[in-house]
Amino acid sequence: MPSGALLFQSVILGLLLGGLYALLASGLTLYFGIMRVVMIAHSAFLILAAYLAWYLHESVGLDPLLSMIGTVPLFFAAGVGLQRALLTRLRPATLTMMSVLLTFAIALLIEGLLGYAFTGTQRRINLGYSSAGLELFGARIAVVKLIAFGLAAVALTTLYLLLKRTKFGWALRATIQHRDAARLLGIDTDRVAGFGFGIGLATAAIGGTALSLDTTIYPSLHWHWIGPLMAIIVVGGLGSVPGAAIAAMILGLAQSLLQIPLGTTWAQTVFYVALFATLAFRPQGFFGGRLAQRF
Amino acid sequence: MPTTSSHARFPMKFLAASMILTLGACSGGGGGDEGGGSDDPIVIGISLPLTGDFSEPGKGVQQGYEAWAKVVNDKGGLLGRQVELKILDDQSNADRVVADYEQLIGKDQVDLVFGPFSTRLVVPSARVAEEYDMLFVEPAGAAKEVFEQGFKNLFYAAPAVANDHYNYLAEKILAMPADQRPKTAAYAAMDDPFAQGTAYGLKEKLEAGGVRTVVDEVYPPNTTDFSGIAAKITDSKADVLVGGSQYQDGVNLIVALQQLGYQPKLAAFSTAPTNPEFASAIGNKTAGVLSPTGYSQDAKYPSNTEFVEKYTAQFGKAPEEDQANGYTTGQVVAAAVTAAGCAEQGDCQQKLIDWLRTNTVETVVGPLSWDDTGKPKGAHMIQQWVGGDIKIVLPEDVKEAEFSYPKPAW
Repeated sequence: MPSGALLFQSVILGLLLGGLYALLASGLTLYFGIMRVVMIAHSAFLILAAYLAWYLHESVGLDPLLSMIGTVPLFFAAGVGLQRALLTRLRPATLTMMSVLLTFAIALLIEGLLGYAFTGTQRRINLGYSSAGLELFGARIAVVKLIAFGLAAVALTTLYLLLKRTKFGWALRATIQHRDAARLLGIDTDRVAGFGFGIGLATAAIGGTALSLDTTIYPSLHWHWIGPLMAIIVVGGLGSVPGAAIAAMILGLAQSLLQIPLGTTWAQTVFYVALFATLAFRPQGFFGGRLAQRF
Repeated sequence: MPTTSSHARFPMKFLAASMILTLGACSGGGGGDEGGGSDDPIVIGISLPLTGDFSEPGKGVQQGYEAWAKVVNDKGGLLGRQVELKILDDQSNADRVVADYEQLIGKDQVDLVFGPFSTRLVVPSARVAEEYDMLFVEPAGAAKEVFEQGFKNLFYAAPAVANDHYNYLAEKILAMPADQRPKTAAYAAMDDPFAQGTAYGLKEKLEAGGVRTVVDEVYPPNTTDFSGIAAKITDSKADVLVGGSQYQDGVNLIVALQQLGYQPKLAAFSTAPTNPEFASAIGNKTAGVLSPTGYSQDAKYPSNTEFVEKYTAQFGKAPEEDQANGYTTGQVVAAAVTAAGCAEQGDCQQKLIDWLRTNTVETVVGPLSWDDTGKPKGAHMIQQWVGGDIKIVLPEDVKEAEFSYPKPAW
């Protein structure tokens, strides 16, 4: 029934969407890998970054992409601060569970403050190029979506290189793999964990900026994002960045294609179906390998 | 915080109630005639959502009521008596609105009542008014359910219910010669009774007239990514695009469609295009977008000019639809009161109801008349974006610009 052109268009849209999911989920899975922390507030920071981009554009006319010069370092610092000041104080035995409560509170705090500062009105950045598009073999690609995808690709590649090629990345991965062993080897795991958390939040700053380019934002929007992102990192294998990225691409594509027969409302359920299936048949996730945390 | 305020309200209410009882006892001793001929003000009881979910539109309606009372009083009042509004805050709560109207009608003995805002509050409060045989004219509550309750005292003070918003447009399209008439249509509506009502009202009429439906999508209210829906619509190449939208969803859908390069011959969206920020939100690519509207400051109905002028003088800005709906409610009741020559509880209320059932009232939103369920018999005006400005194009008698079809590219 759906024409070839519609299928092709949906594949393109799905890949673009998947790229954004991949970036957003990578931060989330990083927190879990480093500290076994379930960071409910990740998407709240995402929306916060989007609001900052919107506000800077609205008040001083700054292009959202330039706002990252400020928000990325700011979020990195906030992440380090959050980890050092709050999360390390949780007792290791109950860390995962208590981190849900703590970060849930942070998410509510951010949502409340955003509502207080900017009201619940939906906002959108009005860019001169927001409705511009490129033609590609009969399909159309919106410029803003392409920019968002590009941001995600660059950020993910940087993250990958950082983890694989730098000394800090090795230390971070060692901390993820075996904290005690890493400490025995002389790695200051607390410091590394703090920086890892900062990097996680910095991805939220980039993701939020990418998000603000093409969607409407409102303070409670983060609840809409956290569910799919949590599902992605479980499917991808908790703690695995490449796993999260692959799962994000597949699920983004699936959501986009399922919209053709099922409509918008039911296409969203693909994340939860995938989550149930993963927990039922392969709780360690599909792409995480032996590093992945098992519930 | 909410608990404190609701606790704080109770003693206040009892105090007010007991004061009114005392006053009632006093006047009972005085034995004054409270009927039509006296110089006492006509007291109108109203409950509005001034806090909570509907506080924004609730306050809008309140301003409309206040503007109406001022205009009437400046002209010497109704039947020679001044009008006085007694407004309570129902906190957008359906239980509260019932208690408010019970108090206003039963204890406070108000002469007339005006309705609250939103379907959810209109239905329970109309039931209270019916128990007391009071005329109940309401400014908001356009959903079907309101007219399915069998109310005999209710009148909706607006031109049309959601399903009839596009009637003028449907007539116009179906009146086109067969070779020019659009052949296919795509519909995308928010999962919301009002937004869907507008789109499906037009869908029913166009389908009956032979315009084939090629896309029919419903999306949840929290949807922010419309690219999937836009891809389907673009692929269908539908001649007509109808969006059952509120505000932001309409904007997002239009941008997503423009990104995909879709060019319909006709594009109609409810609510969104009449928003003052619409043009800048979609980067001024508004060419030819249509929207039904219940109220326009520019509509050439006789009382509207006066309303816009007086309202602007009183509040420092021009009225919007909520304010106009409140004002219209006042105009409808005033017309009935003037014709029946009375304004008090008791038999008078039935006279008011009977008069409205058979007569047409001139208001700021045009002439209004009602069927047996209180549903207005009119349709909404249709506005179209023409050269960077939104203008009334239908119906013919109040148009500011020509209806343009096929619309220019956006």
